[in-house]
Amino acid sequence: MELCHAVLNSLALGPLLNHWSLGNGVRCVEATMPDASLTCLDLWCRAGSSSEQHHEEGMAHFLEHMVFKGSFNLDAGVFDREIEALGGSSNAATGFDDVHFHVMIPADKAPRALDLLLDLVLEPTLAEDHFVMEREVVLEEIAQYADQPDERVLQELLARACPNHAYGRPILGWRSSLLAMDPGSMRAFHQRRYRGSNCCLSVAGKIEPDLRQSIEASALAGLPAARDTSCEPKERPLTVECGRHEIQVERLESARFLMLWPMAAAAMQTEVMGADLATTLLSEGRRSRLVAQLRETLRIADTADMDLTVLEQGSLVTLEICCQEDDLPAVEQEVKRQLDHVCDTPPEDWELKRARQLVGNALRFALESSAQVAGLAAGQTLWGRAQDLLQPLNELESWTTTRLQQELFPQLQAHRACTLIARPGAIS
Amino acid sequence: MGGPELLLEPINTPGVLSAKLLLEGGSAQDAHGSRGSHQLLASLMTRGCGPHDHLQLADLVEGRGAGLRCEAHEDGLLISLRCASDDATDLLPLLAWMVVDAHLRPEQLTLERGLSIQALQRQREDPFQIAVDGWRQLAYGNGGYGHDPLGVEEDLRALSLDQLRTLADGLTSRPSVLAIAGVWPSSLDAALPFLPGFQDWNAATDQQSQKQTTSQASVCSSPQRSDQTLITQPIATEQVVVMLGQATLSHGHPDDLALRLLQCHLGMGMSSLLFRRLREEHGVAYDVGLHHPSRAGSAPFIMHASTGSERADITLQLLAQSWWELASSPLSDEDLSLAKSKFIGQMAHAQQTSSQRAERRVQLRGLGLADDHDQRCLQDLEDLGAADLKRVAAEHLSRPCLSLCGPQSKLDDLSRAWASELS
Repeated sequence: MELCHAVLNSLALGPLLNHWSLGNGVRCVEATMPDASLTCLDLWCRAGSSSEQHHEEGMAHFLEHMVFKGSFNLDAGVFDREIEALGGSSNAATGFDDVHFHVMIPADKAPRALDLLLDLVLEPTLAEDHFVMEREVVLEEIAQYADQPDERVLQELLARACPNHAYGRPILGWRSSLLAMDPGSMRAFHQRRYRGSNCCLSVAGKIEPDLRQSIEASALAGLPAARDTSCEPKERPLTVECGRHEIQVERLESARFLMLWPMAAAAMQTEVMGADLATTLLSEGRRSRLVAQLRETLRIADTADMDLTVLEQGSLVTLEICCQEDDLPAVEQEVKRQLDHVCDTPPEDWELKRARQLVGNALRFALESSAQVAGLAAGQTLWGRAQDLLQPLNELESWTTTRLQQELFPQLQAHRACTLIARPGAIS
Repeated sequence: MGGPELLLEPINTPGVLSAKLLLEGGSAQDAHGSRGSHQLLASLMTRGCGPHDHLQLADLVEGRGAGLRCEAHEDGLLISLRCASDDATDLLPLLAWMVVDAHLRPEQLTLERGLSIQALQRQREDPFQIAVDGWRQLAYGNGGYGHDPLGVEEDLRALSLDQLRTLADGLTSRPSVLAIAGVWPSSLDAALPFLPGFQDWNAATDQQSQKQTTSQASVCSSPQRSDQTLITQPIATEQVVVMLGQATLSHGHPDDLALRLLQCHLGMGMSSLLFRRLREEHGVAYDVGLHHPSRAGSAPFIMHASTGSERADITLQLLAQSWWELASSPLSDEDLSLAKSKFIGQMAHAQQTSSQRAERRVQLRGLGLADDHDQRCLQDLEDLGAADLKRVAAEHLSRPCLSLCGPQSKLDDLSRAWASELS
């Protein structure tokens, strides 16, 4: 345990956070990183694809595109040109739970960039001609994903595992749902979701002393506070439809074996960190159970990756194995055997220690750049978990080999998964 | 004294460091018939070296929660280590052991060879990758940059352990440089040459005469010269991938700064020309950009876009227009000044983490450039005018090659359009 303590101690040197809220409920967090060459401004909103209603499928993401098409004060393209002329860059991303818009900028230009960013995100024009043009771009994005066989397989797994949940449908939406949208319905979505209590502004980098003042005087403080919940889709705990499916996918060059399990929601941090340890122990690195057995020893798989996607309504664990089609039966049998085995017998101490080191360092490595720090801080703060960046690591201590065996590995049994086998071939 | 040249870059990090060891000579030096040998050797180097067999090595690295990789790039072998500062003294010797004494066990070769072949096969799932492979073949032919660093299946199957051993034996005499960025124990600087592995490297180098490896630039600076400027690869997809580009200059060539400025103008950020023209004005593509990596030889300069079949004609037309106008009309003052701002901004963006900083340090050395090359570029930038950019485009962007990947019927239309574009 000595090493582990050493890691935890030096981790305490990560950037310090300062949390506060505006009167209308906007959560703010700043991370002081005096050596950062660029400051990151990151605006998050609880307006991911799971907040879409029927007929809005794909709107959260399409709106993220439309935001960059101009606001009432900034014509299309002005924002990009000004930010980039200041030596900065900007981007955005839409997830199941939330969407965020971020700007990287030299510290002394941060106040100007903040005004521009807020103007753009909070007051988009959503002009008809831009709407029609940008929809074409989103349709191209959908087509590009459709041409990637591995993306198709993953989407198919989500659709079959979560058929009655927003996490089961593509964030990009469908061609048909996008074609049925108009700027009016998008404006209604924007007004409904982009509200004080749904937003979080995160700033990481060299923090200027008057930053807080300029945030309090900004357009963010003018957002309506209350969240209109009258017509919200009901958030419900995620369930996964267990089962076993086989499909054929065109242009797939090797077979895929996938499994998906439900896991504790993001708010249950102890369980989430336990799941992180469990998936690391099973499939990260050559000495992990699945990689060691399937790829290194039996040599029936090319890759074995397990991912934990932490989500607000219930996290997801996915396992993806690439193998030769002929080896599929052996792969399936061995995966089941390995998952049974960790349930029957607790893992070895060295395996837990190894997993702790990997999980701890992964977080520590992610604290170097202001963009990563701003994102990590905002992702927690937005959902009411105002805490230090390294707080999740404290949860690691409570997981012993026996507790993992008794509480976590039983959740990752083969019969509790949605299993999908994809073979190369014509579409079935 | 042998061993790698050491570059140190202390940066405040949360108790982590990044080390990058670059050995000159990469996949561009693969002999014909042995394409993939550098990458296969690289993958075997992490599977047992010095006092550690492949399991002990994995235990040591993963047990400390560290990351260790060795990859062949076009111009070099790059070994990357990322670890907690406290583990540096125990883990850094691995970098030297991999160079001095890689075990190269036959059973590990069988495993890695299989994995490389499968990875190559899976790359064919990505239409973009197919288009890249086609373009590379067209532009470089049998030259060093003509194949993916992963290699070619036929050659990989034929590679013998003896060939890899010969390649490995020459590693200690290659020019090499090690950069460490981040936070490390204060005693490390002085102790490094005497750490296990590094000591052996010194001894190995003393015994061998300092063989100079073939000059990298000479291997690949002359791109393939053929009359062919088009390659088409039919696949059953919705979109067509369009790539238009030319083999141009080495990083550090006096004219390359102008090309990198054109790269900022064409492809960097949402204010870039290709983004504006293809996405915002015509809505014909989601993924659009410009690829111009830093290379020791003639680096690719490629415009690319993925577009729906029914809009592929206009996409090709827009890319071709964007290409030819570089040499025919000078950039406006506004565009030139924006490109310069982006160039300066991008330098700060590329220095965010210890890993980025260490990699840039070894990359510059590998290219034979001064440590302050980037600062000098910033100074030289001021003197570059629109007329200079136009001249460089006329000189180095006069003969683009087109690579297309998508549905057969569309490729036929586009081929005809390309022929009339050139006539």
